[in-house]
Amino acid sequence: MLAITALLLAACGNGEEAADQDLDIPDGPTIEIRGQDFSEAITLAEVYGQYLDALGYDVDIHSPAGFRDEAVSDLEAGTLNMIVDYIGGSQAQLAPDAEPSSDPDEVMEIISEAYADIGATVLDYTPAIDGDAFVVRGDLDAETISDVADMDLVLGASAQCFERPQCYIGFTDVYGIEFADTQTIEFGPLLGEALDAGEVDAVVWNDTAPQIEEFGFKVLEDDEGIFPAQNIAPILDDSLIEAYGDDLVNAINELSAMITTDDLLDWNFETDIEFRESDDVATEWLEEQGLI
Amino acid sequence: MSMLLAARNPILRWSYFLEQWDRIQGAIFQHLQLTLMSVLLGFIISAGLAAIGLRYRWSIGPITLFAAFVYTIPSVAFFGVLRTTPLGLSVYTVLIPLTGFTLLILVTNILDGFRAVPASVKEAADAMGMTPMRRLFTVEVPVAVPYMINGLRIATVTIVGLVAVAGIVGYGGLGNLIMEGIRRQFWSPLTIGASLSILLAILLDLLYFLLGRWLTPWARTARS
Amino acid sequence: MMLAQRAIPRDTTLGEWFTDPQSWTGSAGILASLGDTVVLCLAVILTSSLLAVPTAAYLAHHRLAQVTSAWLVNIGRALPTFAVAALLVPVSLRGGYGFEPWPIFIALVLLTVPPMFLSTYVAVREVDPAAVDAARAMGFTERAVLRSVELPLASTVIFTGLRVAGVQVVATEPIRAFLGGDGLGRYIRDGIGQNNATLTIGGTILIAALAGITGLVFSATERLIKPYGVRRLRAHRKPRSGDADEEPDLGDTDEFASHHGAAVGRMR
Repeated sequence: MLAITALLLAACGNGEEAADQDLDIPDGPTIEIRGQDFSEAITLAEVYGQYLDALGYDVDIHSPAGFRDEAVSDLEAGTLNMIVDYIGGSQAQLAPDAEPSSDPDEVMEIISEAYADIGATVLDYTPAIDGDAFVVRGDLDAETISDVADMDLVLGASAQCFERPQCYIGFTDVYGIEFADTQTIEFGPLLGEALDAGEVDAVVWNDTAPQIEEFGFKVLEDDEGIFPAQNIAPILDDSLIEAYGDDLVNAINELSAMITTDDLLDWNFETDIEFRESDDVATEWLEEQGLI
Repeated sequence: MSMLLAARNPILRWSYFLEQWDRIQGAIFQHLQLTLMSVLLGFIISAGLAAIGLRYRWSIGPITLFAAFVYTIPSVAFFGVLRTTPLGLSVYTVLIPLTGFTLLILVTNILDGFRAVPASVKEAADAMGMTPMRRLFTVEVPVAVPYMINGLRIATVTIVGLVAVAGIVGYGGLGNLIMEGIRRQFWSPLTIGASLSILLAILLDLLYFLLGRWLTPWARTARS
Repeated sequence: MMLAQRAIPRDTTLGEWFTDPQSWTGSAGILASLGDTVVLCLAVILTSSLLAVPTAAYLAHHRLAQVTSAWLVNIGRALPTFAVAALLVPVSLRGGYGFEPWPIFIALVLLTVPPMFLSTYVAVREVDPAAVDAARAMGFTERAVLRSVELPLASTVIFTGLRVAGVQVVATEPIRAFLGGDGLGRYIRDGIGQNNATLTIGGTILIAALAGITGLVFSATERLIKPYGVRRLRAHRKPRSGDADEEPDLGDTDEFASHHGAAVGRMR
């Protein structure tokens, strides 16, 4: 239904704005973008989508669905031609055997190659970082992840975490943690609920989750460095770049350069604590930045 | 949950209705669309299956067995399994199970309807010189209509509920609002999605009830 | 210490998943999930039958509340279980009762009471009036008529209603995993989340197997506790069509402006 709304908005918007904005946008495919199904990613898709729409491109912001798996496979299938992803996550998905790195440029090198194989190009990453975070309740006597190795904690994390060396497998194999028990919890606010309720003692979340402060949780330091760099990068199908050329690439890179970690925190506060909608939050931010 | 959060997240924030009306409307529309599409598709397939069954009696057993088998697949399982196939997030992941779930209800009701036509009536029609086509449409179909309406009624109401379940794969009309509420732990969309699903089911049930009465006035006059 | 949930790679085959002992143990293992599901389903079936059967039998015996019952049954049948459970989740959380079991429990009870009520009501009402009159003539009290004549004669249909409802509960219960709960549905949920077909199909097989077993258990129980006389009666008399394996149907009567083919009311 978001897509319907977006379509309507796009339809209304195009008439007036395309006229007084960029007139030299060549004909080309509609930009098909979709957020992964959690607030921050939905807001990101809205930010990029609305921005490009305001520049005069045809944009269809699909209703949010699925996670990285679906984003990448739909990019491959052509249902989507633009996705926005966390670069470390992309690496875990596309090159699971490559060494995780906290240096974004190293990560970029790996994923650029991997995306090129499926006919897509990774554009510049944002200064904003949404790192993975090992989150515990504030009263736990630990500062680093190593500290909890012998604490018999119950870990809660998304189903995806349990598949990854940068996540669960790293905790057991690199840190040698033996968890008393583990629970799969859908990524998002449910992690905080479970941690707060004492159903689990630790969760793997992202450090831009506003609930961490709201609930008085704390993030343990990743002293063994298993979490990869998690800057955000838009990934475009090559057909878009062929059709729209450097104008599109530069426009997107300009936007990416403006998104900071604080912005992510603000957006997430609006969507997850104030319960506002991602599309409104995105519009507001773009207006503040003078981008639309 | 902190008190602060609770205050911002009542079970229903009324302003959500106004602010997000576009989305709610879109969800209702998609819900109705999926319901109607699957019931209509199911009815066409069921009519075909019933026609085969009436023509070749021996096939009724296998047809019913097949429909019953499809019907007993738990909905979340059916959606979930298709979700992990190449159908992925497409509408077919939702439409195929929904249509499948209508078959048993519709096939049995259509068959019941045609079998409810007394043999003597059919013979009388033949004796009056009606062609088989004419007999079908002037004698048999009117008898079967109430049964079909009843089947459509159960199918529609069942499907309205199952479309909401399809929210688990992101293609479920009002079910999407329910799942969004669960995901964000934000109760307004959940409450609205759930209440409207219930309301929709009851309204459609009532609508069919009235439609049935209107289409078969003889059913009432015969009794009074 | 046993790990409850390990990484289950996507290339794990169904055979590997089912035969790995670690799939079965731990708090997220198959045994624990099966336990969660069985306990909830049993609680629902017990509660619903205790609510529906005596009430329906009493009302049917005294021919009371026919119109009201019909309307309640019809509305009850229209209620979408998933939506009802979802609607109750925030209420339960606000009350401090957690994600489960109350929302899903109440929703499943609401799902099963109408068909149980309907089958009992119809079964008792359709008991041969001659048998009832004979009992009265022999000096039976109304209570004894209901207990010793009507209920035993209606038992076949009542049991069918219970069996259908029982299977329905098992097939519907997995929605709980999508509303913050556990049970066998968790494998379908995790399978969707991880895009792991093995988990989704494995979960589906488990649920289907449990539903099948539930049906068998009901049939066996029916055989065990059905009154001897009724069993003999059935053996001697050719059952009316629709007696044995279909849920009864009041579609033709005024009071129950109801559904035809009620056996396929709503299965989930």
